[in-house]
Amino acid sequence: MSTMSPEKKRPAKKDNDGDMEGGDEKRGGRGFARRKVCRFCADKNAKVDYKDQSTLKYFVTERGKIIPRRISGNCALHQRAVAKAVKQSRGLALIPYLVLAS
Amino acid sequence: MAEAVKLAAKLREYETVFLVKPDLTDENVDKVKEKVRNIVNRDGGKFLRFTIWGKKKTMYPVAKQPRAIYIHAHFLGGSAMVAEVERNLRNFDEVTRFMSKRLADDVNPESHQPQEDLKLSGDVDDNKPFGGAEREGFGGFDNDMDDEGGFSA
Repeated sequence: MSTMSPEKKRPAKKDNDGDMEGGDEKRGGRGFARRKVCRFCADKNAKVDYKDQSTLKYFVTERGKIIPRRISGNCALHQRAVAKAVKQSRGLALIPYLVLAS
Repeated sequence: MAEAVKLAAKLREYETVFLVKPDLTDENVDKVKEKVRNIVNRDGGKFLRFTIWGKKKTMYPVAKQPRAIYIHAHFLGGSAMVAEVERNLRNFDEVTRFMSKRLADDVNPESHQPQEDLKLSGDVDDNKPFGGAEREGFGGFDNDMDDEGGFSA
């Protein structure tokens, strides 16, 4: 594991100390998760916009809850922006407050 | 004189999204638009552009309606003017919901010129009945985002 490039894989040590890996590659409970990058930092053109419901959709569960940072991979700055945008968007009925089980 | 120029230059850039009832005709929508435009221009603001997003399905019923016509207004002005616009929106019977947002401070009005209004088509399938189970668009999440079990450690 130490031979892996640090950008690609998080060292397994980090996963063990309480950080639950909601990662893309779950391996038997304690595997390695692909390192996630904040998509707004990666793409300079991407902006958090409360009017853009197709983008915000990726940061909200099917139930309508905001996806936490450890799963969405957003940086703190952009997670705050996303959370605010989702809430504004809800007010305009672009995104649901909650989706009942059908 | 220089101070007057300075004062005039101190405008803020705002946008307001508001929802009107879905059964309004195009003429009635235009009437609401003109009313808002007049308020902005009367109170020393500068109206830039209306974008009508069209009739869209709302994610939950708004004013007991499954759909609404979304209108986006983009303008320059002061805070008192926004309050006046919002007061009026509250009074219009057709308007069911609105939200204003400040985009930028200290905008020079000369750098923004009014643009022609835009009209988008909105949702195409307009005749589907209202129903929670039928609304689409809230699937398609990544599989690793497991809603129920995923958050409990």
